[in-house]
Amino acid sequence: MDPKYIRNFAIIAHIDHGKSTLSDRLLEITGSLTQREMQAQVLDAMDLERERGITIKAHTVRMMYKASDGHNYQLNLIDTPGHVDFSYEVSRSLASCEGALLVVDASQGVEAQTLANAYLAISNGLEIIPVINKIDLPSADIERTKAMIEKSVGLPADDAVCVSAKTGLNVADILEAVVHLVPQPKGDPEAPLQALIFDSWFDAYKGVIILARIINGRLRRGDKIKVMSNNRQFEVDSLGVMTPKPIVLEELSAGEVGFFVATIKNVADTKVGDTITHVDRPCADALPGFEDIKSMVFAGLYTVDSHAHGMLRDALEKLRLNDASFNFEPESSVALGFGFRCGFLGLLHLEIIQERLEREYDLDLIITAPGVQYNITMTDGTVLTVDNPSRWPDPTEIEAIEEPVIIAKILTNEEYVGNILKLVEDKRGRQQNIEYVSETRVMLTYELPLNEIVLDFYDRLKSVSRGYASLDYHLSGTWISPMVKMDILIGGDPVDALSLIVHRDSAYDRGKVLVEKMRELIPRQMFEVAIQAAIGSKIIARSTVTAIRKNVIAKCYGGDISRKKKLLDKQKEGKKRMKRIGKVDIPQEAFLAVLKVGEE
Amino acid sequence: MQQASDNSMLGIYVSVPFCRAKCSFCNFASGVGTPEAMESYVERLCAEIDGAGANAVSLGAELPRRVDTVYFGGGTPSLLAPQQLRRIFAALRRNFDVADGAEITLEAAPGQIGDAILAESQRLGVSRVSLGVQSFIDRESASVGRLHTERECIQEIVRLRAEGLIEVGADLIAGLPYQTAESWEHSLEVATGVGLTHLSVYMLEIDEDSRLGQEVIAGGKRFHAHGVPAEEISAELYEQACARLPRAGFTQYEISNFAGAGHRSRHNVKYWQRTPYLGFGLDAHSMLRTTTGAVRLANPDELGQYAGAQSAREISRGGVTEAFEETIFLGLRMDEGVDFQGLAAAFPNELTKPCAEAVRDLVAEDLMTDEDGRWRLTLRGRLVSNEVFGRLLEGVAV
Repeated sequence: MDPKYIRNFAIIAHIDHGKSTLSDRLLEITGSLTQREMQAQVLDAMDLERERGITIKAHTVRMMYKASDGHNYQLNLIDTPGHVDFSYEVSRSLASCEGALLVVDASQGVEAQTLANAYLAISNGLEIIPVINKIDLPSADIERTKAMIEKSVGLPADDAVCVSAKTGLNVADILEAVVHLVPQPKGDPEAPLQALIFDSWFDAYKGVIILARIINGRLRRGDKIKVMSNNRQFEVDSLGVMTPKPIVLEELSAGEVGFFVATIKNVADTKVGDTITHVDRPCADALPGFEDIKSMVFAGLYTVDSHAHGMLRDALEKLRLNDASFNFEPESSVALGFGFRCGFLGLLHLEIIQERLEREYDLDLIITAPGVQYNITMTDGTVLTVDNPSRWPDPTEIEAIEEPVIIAKILTNEEYVGNILKLVEDKRGRQQNIEYVSETRVMLTYELPLNEIVLDFYDRLKSVSRGYASLDYHLSGTWISPMVKMDILIGGDPVDALSLIVHRDSAYDRGKVLVEKMRELIPRQMFEVAIQAAIGSKIIARSTVTAIRKNVIAKCYGGDISRKKKLLDKQKEGKKRMKRIGKVDIPQEAFLAVLKVGEE
Repeated sequence: MQQASDNSMLGIYVSVPFCRAKCSFCNFASGVGTPEAMESYVERLCAEIDGAGANAVSLGAELPRRVDTVYFGGGTPSLLAPQQLRRIFAALRRNFDVADGAEITLEAAPGQIGDAILAESQRLGVSRVSLGVQSFIDRESASVGRLHTERECIQEIVRLRAEGLIEVGADLIAGLPYQTAESWEHSLEVATGVGLTHLSVYMLEIDEDSRLGQEVIAGGKRFHAHGVPAEEISAELYEQACARLPRAGFTQYEISNFAGAGHRSRHNVKYWQRTPYLGFGLDAHSMLRTTTGAVRLANPDELGQYAGAQSAREISRGGVTEAFEETIFLGLRMDEGVDFQGLAAAFPNELTKPCAEAVRDLVAEDLMTDEDGRWRLTLRGRLVSNEVFGRLLEGVAV
């Protein structure tokens, strides 16, 4: 298609600001899906995405739209995730667009995540179209929202499109704005092929499926292509676009986005950000690509049933085919046996991997307390990188510990600023800036240790602000901090899988709430179980799970043994989710007690 | 394995789910019924008894014709009219061969046994009465909705003995509202001194199936829920009974049952020894032998459903694994326990071996004893028997 009639755009929005509903509405208006095919939030295809109402992977969809100027336009919508864990997905999506809709909830205003992504879009040179959504709500305040967009994002918002994705009101105006405001893609269809891989995933039947933006040239079925970073060659089996149903085409040309399949077996062969070109007529230069994704959060993954270890490895390998953003390596624990140390983008990412392993591979998992990566300078001058408490060196040989630090931007309503200040101070934050972005909205910028964020920061932020605070962060550097390893002893024996790294000054408090939480999570056993927290040989906190005094069915009334049988079966089911360490049965959730400390 | 009982003799349970009032702790499918409801219930009951033979055939189960125990449980079976009891007996006798000297038990509430029903019972062969006393302390009885006083209970026991009944037993509950070690001692003393031959001691069960249980779980104050002693106290009361009753000649032969020499309930023993029994009536359960194992049946626990049901519903058909599980968790309820030699002879190694390994740990933890291969629960083991059984059967696939 003539690039003149192509528009590529993304949607930037905070969770719950209506991005997915808006996408659905656009599909409906352009007739991409019939009413019968509409399923709420079509673009969030993974079960998990639909259940949680979040977008994890980027999606693309091509829509055909006849604009008021009488021409037919090809509109490529690139949907993006809204959670901070997946912000790298956003930057990829933006690199394949010329414009972005900045969707803001008329009753909530701009959130931190939206702001961060809007800045990213602006710095990528995208044309931003402000869209004010949910104007049908009684609490909608269009003028205030416009003012906030102008003040915080620095964009004129007078011409913002005011819509209700829910009712469909004014949604067609968005398409007109896209056609008229978003620039047509640059690029020459006749030049040598230059295509940017912006996502890829593994399909059991087709192999690796690649989403690409054709920058220059044309890609056709049967073409011999190569990946520029590693020179690996493939032949294109099929290509096409999502509408959102996959439609097979003969060709994708400059300015278009679509998918292709080329019997690629390993996602690692086609790294996101890589450039694809023709073997016969290669382009001169690779495209700039993306920064490598870095794991921020580390945790051990084990199976409750130690015999299932091989199954876990297989499952992790399969998941990794689909998700290049997490990595794993074998580790072993005295308490839990063989397992894997895994690196994640953040806690949500960890949760998603956990859920997928449990659901799609039917594994009962134990996850150890998430932590971060420390650089430890030893007294002999060597430097260690440690992300696993069990590899923590002897404290007498440690010279200094560097912990990763982030810059966090927290956007909230002014009435919660006090609570949030208390929270970030408690979490060892260092203030960088406090700024009013509107009459009532405040942006706090803090440096915070990542270690504090991965534990329970996000949940506590939500609770102290009653949900009226949003968070965005990125790694900024390291601090030297006096971190210590805290061990947990069950029945007098240390359990390596429960150890965690904490700041020396908060060790006592943390130890106290942790052993208390574990007391709640570990069911009573036939004997008393002591739970202790220790630093080195010093016990700093203790709690006790009292012994079961009675658990007996007194009566088998009239020979009814069904209750007894049910109880036994229930016990067995329960045991499957517990790990016996020494003599004590410990439920899966107790290993993550540290994350549940703030919960009631 | 203890297999003293005879598989060729059948036990029969007849459920009579009607009461004058429903006690707050009751988690059984029983309630207050009108005379009309009772009448049509007895009709349905007799029809069920008449259909038992055909039902067993259709299930492929063995149905012994010879019956050596019959148990009328409740509810309050002593509320039946004499002619109703007569009709049930007639149905039993025309379908089964009730042995001479069969143990025939009637459950009754103190003060709710009319002269006529008592006379008719004895004429029909009832040899045993089990009284729902629960407590000899009036405040405790009243708190859970029992309609009798200590004085009425004692009068009733004396009366039954005077009428020539030798086997008179009573149920007591440990853990009733307001119960203390002292008040419980009183109940135990009266029970052992008043001329009973059998005592069942149950710990109050706190679950969603009774009004009192629900209230305790909800932390409320209705039904004297706030007076219910803590779990620790109930356990101590049970231990008190286990210590006190044998001194008075009531030997403990099962987790909840105590009897004078020669006065055990032969019917109840059938449940624990896995000998066949057949239940008739609301929520009645049955266990019959098949060529490959055993089949368990249950009737509906709702009156309307029972009235319309054709026959008892099969709830499980067990093979070796189920038989093994039951042998363990039923056998260990009995004081005589389970004999490993018998177990090893009857069941495959892969079932018995993990179990024997668990026993070693449980012995070390003072929850079981192992005397030359005879496994028993200790007193502590009885109190947490569900946990012990769970440990013993952990390796057996669900």
